[in-house]
Order: sequence, then structure tokens, then C-alpha cells
Amino acid sequence: MTMKTLRKASEPLLFVLPCLAILGIFVYYPLVQNFIYSFFRFSAFSPEKIFVGVQNYANLLKDTIVVTALRNNLRYAIISVLCQVCFGLVLAAILEDRSFRRVSPLFRTMFFLPVLISISVICLLFSFIYRPMDGLLNSFLQFIGLGSLARPWLGSAKTAIFATIAVSQWQSTGYVMMLFIVAIQKIPDELYEAAEIDGANKMQRFFVITLPQVREMFFVTSLITVTGSFMVFNEPYILTQGGGPGTSSITIAVHMYQSGFFKDMMGYASTIAVVIFLISVFLGLIQLATFRSGED
Amino acid sequence: MSKRIAAVIVALMLTLSFASAQQVTLHFFHRWPQEPRKSFYDQLVADFEKQNPDIKIVMDSVINDSYKEKIRVLVSSNDIPDVFCSWSDSFAYNLVKSGRIKPLNDLLAKDKVFADSFVQSQIKSFTFDNKIYGLPHTMDAKVFVYNKDIFEKAGITKLPATYDELLTVFDTLQKKGYQVPVLEGLADPWTISHYLGSMFQLYLPESVTDKDYAEATGVFTDPGYKVVLERFQKIASYMGPNATSMTHTDTRNYFISGKLPLIYLETGEFKYLADGNPNLKYGYFPFPAFKDGKGKLGLIEGAPEGFMMSSTTKYPEAAERFLKFIYSKQNAQKFMKDIGVPIAVKGALPSGSSMPWLNNAIDVMDNAKGMVPWFDNAVNIKVADAFMRGCQAIATKDKTIDQVMADVQAAAKVVQSEAKK
Repeated sequence: MTMKTLRKASEPLLFVLPCLAILGIFVYYPLVQNFIYSFFRFSAFSPEKIFVGVQNYANLLKDTIVVTALRNNLRYAIISVLCQVCFGLVLAAILEDRSFRRVSPLFRTMFFLPVLISISVICLLFSFIYRPMDGLLNSFLQFIGLGSLARPWLGSAKTAIFATIAVSQWQSTGYVMMLFIVAIQKIPDELYEAAEIDGANKMQRFFVITLPQVREMFFVTSLITVTGSFMVFNEPYILTQGGGPGTSSITIAVHMYQSGFFKDMMGYASTIAVVIFLISVFLGLIQLATFRSGED
Repeated sequence: MSKRIAAVIVALMLTLSFASAQQVTLHFFHRWPQEPRKSFYDQLVADFEKQNPDIKIVMDSVINDSYKEKIRVLVSSNDIPDVFCSWSDSFAYNLVKSGRIKPLNDLLAKDKVFADSFVQSQIKSFTFDNKIYGLPHTMDAKVFVYNKDIFEKAGITKLPATYDELLTVFDTLQKKGYQVPVLEGLADPWTISHYLGSMFQLYLPESVTDKDYAEATGVFTDPGYKVVLERFQKIASYMGPNATSMTHTDTRNYFISGKLPLIYLETGEFKYLADGNPNLKYGYFPFPAFKDGKGKLGLIEGAPEGFMMSSTTKYPEAAERFLKFIYSKQNAQKFMKDIGVPIAVKGALPSGSSMPWLNNAIDVMDNAKGMVPWFDNAVNIKVADAFMRGCQAIATKDKTIDQVMADVQAAAKVVQSEAKK
């Protein structure tokens, strides 16, 4: 092989090298390191690590908080898909309807605004709304004569997780709606015109044209929301002081954080991180298998 | 001519480099980025640098919970600040275990006057294996604070001396229309640990708590723990359904507004009462004893916070000078005046002080026969967390006391196995 061909062959490699280096340092190295850490027991205080084999994994299987956390993540996922994806699509379809053309820019902006606000700020705002004695929600319920429904939303194990999930829906539905609006705008007008000539009403047009045409976006947004649901951290961490009362509104990411930085079990936290990683990989594989990007 | 200019330049450079070589930089890390303490420490550093031109202080601060995390990471790294603040007892002990905290015995032995300037009872919380690793700064203790007007209206003349009498007071207040006679922001898990710490100390014999609070021997199987949790649940039942969704600040503000009869407060919070509602008349009493309790009487839950020094500091002499400056009588007095929190430096209360809350707080400490550390600092955090989270669930009746005790015992087992290895 001549020098020239060698150089030619290595050229593409040189182009991807910076990317590979950055990915290696900031993604793959920590990933491998985290996996190794999960076999050790150590404290953030001391650099000394004790090898414990699969003890952390055995503890994980016995840990009831993990079950609670995963159940809460699952609730998050189901509600988010229903609310953000399904309802977001309906919102997008309504706003893209001809009869709403005039007002749709206003509503689009209004629904999208929460996406631009920091989640920490939103959580603080909602903690005021949920306040049991003088919060907006309970006061409103009392005002319209539904005082019997007023309750300590974040203080009861039965409602805390749902009150937390509701905040995410409020924030993120607008984002998914925007994605659907873009997808709907890409549908050729001829399809709707043909349907209209055939006498299809609005409902039929939605189910027969809009829905099949945006199915790729439907998959993408579903996977984004489901994956996001298994990473959720800020909302329970801020709203219910890390998953309270008890551990009723804890999520797997909060459990990992608390195990590591609050209970000082860094090895165990790494083990939980491995679980989160496996869940993400699993969801990623589904994405690869079901959604063949660019084919449509 | 050019030679002369060159000589002047060289001379100037030499002087400059000499000056910069003389000045050392110390890193100071604390947990008060918020007012009023931020201004106090800004001023303190400015004053110190003025008096000690050879030392430059680089100050950094992050708030409470973030501080707990950050200082842990810093202490285990090589970037440990030269002087930094710390809680006492188990929090301090965890830092000390890293081997990077400087024992201060020599410093105190060298300067007797400085050593004697501290309220001696407060040093114990920073002493491990007979070595002093930190110096106490603020002092704090927990007492029940009551609204005098409400008590008067409800016809309560005698302060409760026992737990049963406390419940009677709650009942009387409820009969008089105060549906929530006592309230605590149970959404903040640490508030629960303060209740538990006082109750465990009063109910259980010292031999039991001594054994269980130590990491290597803790089992938490004494039936007394269950009794205390039952009594905690009883108190929580008076707090109404909202307690678990409120923070401590919420409930303190509620007390300040004059609507709440009773609250369990830290003496360090007395100033909030005075500032928030100058017309509020309040009194205070320690956590009442249990008739069937076997703990020592007259002790009070609370602990100092203080400052520590790194053992890896490059400039130990400069760091010592700065540490002493923080505790100088002048700065201690200024601290009491500006911040309104009692301090563990003798004679720091300015004479003729017009700050009654400070006198009140100091009274509490003076009347106590000794201090019991905050429960979440007294035991390993895994055990404390099992108790705190568990008691939230007890308050909302989502878990039984037996379930919580099982969680606690499991956590204690983990702590014990780790301590033995």
C-alpha cells in the first residue's frame, strides 16, 4: 500500500476522530466506569473502594423502593403518552384546522410557552398552586363549590405522584403539539381536498388522513415521552422533597440520586444507574426496531 | 539611558514578584449565599484582607443541601478548601474519617486565651477520638414555642411537664376551636428527625441509644422505639391532613401570623418570630418528659455548627490566623448583632442588648443540663432516612409502625455490616 492510499483511507477516520474522542471521554468512559463502580461499595467521602461482587445487584432485587420507583415511572410513561402524545395530536389537529386559522398562532404560542420556562421554576410555581391551605387549586375548588375535593395534593401518598405527573403534562404537551403541527403541515393539501370531495367530514379526515400521515411522528414522540418518563428527576425532587411522603412519589432517578448523594452509597447508586441504562437501551432498541427513520 | 530604564524595569518586576510571592491565597467555603449572612461574611473577608495584606481569601458558598453534597466531594478530592463550615456530630465525623481534616488541639494548646473563649459544652460535638476537629460557631437547640395569647384565651395556665399533659393541652386547644393545635412541615424529613431525637432521648435508657446510635452496634430492636413512633403518630394526628405537604418554613410563617398555638422550633429561629411579627408574644418549654421514660432528664436536642481546617492546606499559619479572626470577640459580637443567632463565643452578647430573642435562646442553652445531637446527625444517615421517610408514611397512615421498624432494622444491618468491614 502506498503512502497516498493509506492517507486516503485514513482520511474519513480523521474526520470522525474528534467526535469519537469526545463521545469516548464524556459518554463511553463514564458508562464503563459506572458499570465497574456498581461492583464496589464506596463513600463519596473516601477514595477507598471495597469490592463486593454482585452484592449491590442482590440488594437491588430486595429493594422495595425500586419497585415503587419503577411503578411511578410507568405511571409517568402511560399518563405522558396519553396526555402529551394523544392529546397533543388532537390539539395540533384542531389548531391546524381551517376554522381556527385566525386564532391558532395565539394558541400555539400560549401552549408552547411553558416549554420555554425552566422546570425548576415551574415546580416552584406549582408548589404554590398545590399548597394545602392557601394554594390556588384548593382555593379554586372551594370557590366553585367543590371544596370536598380539596386535599393536600403533595402531602398524601395517594395523590402526590399524580400531582407531580400533572406538572410535567402541563409543561410538555405544548412541545409535542408543536412537533405534530410541523408534521401536519407537511401533509399535502390534495389529500384533504380529495377527501372533502368524497364527502368525508372532519372526524373522518382526522382518522383517515391526518393520523396515518403523522404516524412516524407519533412513534418518535411516544418514544421521546416514554424515555423521558424513565429519566424524570426534577419534578419529584423539587415538588415532593425527593419523593415524599415516605417514598410514595419517588422515581428511579431520584432513588439513584438519594442513594448516592444523600445516603452516601455510591456503589449502589451506580447499580441503579445501570438499571436506568438498561431501560434506556431497551427503549432505544424498540425505537430502532419499530421506527425505520426516513423510509416514509 | 536605556540601561537605566532596563534597570528600573527589572527592579519593578522584582518588587512585584516579591510582593506576589508574599501574598498567599486561602480558599474559604461556607453555606450562606443568602442574606443576611452573605453580607456578614463578605465584610468579614474584606476586614481580614485589610488587616492581613499578605493573605487573599477566595470565598465560595452554596446553599444548605448543595453544600452537604459539595463539601463531601471536595473533601474526598484534592481541592479541599483551607477553611470551611461544617455541621457537628456524625456529619463532621464523616468528614473527619477522610483523614483530611486538621486536628486543632495544637492550635488551642498554643493559645489558651483563644481556647477558653469558647462555650466549652459546644466543643464536644466536634471532638472525635479525643481530638478536636472543628470549632463551634452558632449554637442551636429545639424547644416547643407557644403563642401566649392563644394559651391565655384557651385558659391554659400550666405548661405541660409530661407527654400526657402535652396531649391534654392539644385537646383543650381543639375544644377551644384550634383544630390544629400543633403543626410541623413534615414534607421536610429533617423536622421529623428533630421530634424523634428528643423523644428517643427522653424515652429510652442511655445504654440503648448509645449502643444503637453507634454504627458498629446499632440494631434498633428495643421495643421502646415502637412506643416512641406510636407517640409520634399520636402527635402527628393533631397536625391535621396538611402537615405532610407543608415545609417547616410554611408552618413557621403560620405560627408567626398568630394562627398556630404551638410549634417545635430551633432557638436560631427566634429572630424570625421577632422580625416577622413584633407583636407576637411567645413562650417556650422543652419537650415534655415521658412518665414511663427512662432517659436522662434536662437534656436538650441541638448542636453547634462550626468551622474546620484542611490538613492538606499549604498555608496552615495563614489559615489559623483566618480561623481565629472568625472567632474574634469583635466579629462574634457583630455576628450576634447582625444575624441574631447565639454564638459559642463567651461574652459575645453585646451588653444592654435590645434583642430579647437572643437572651431567650441563650437561656434555653443555659438551663439545659447538656445537649443531645440532632438525630439525623447522631445516627448513620441510612438509619435516619429510614426513620424520617417511615414517619412521613406513618403520619399519612400509609405504613404501619412495624413496617417502618423493619425498614429501620434492615438499614441498621447494612450500616453495621459496613462498619465492621
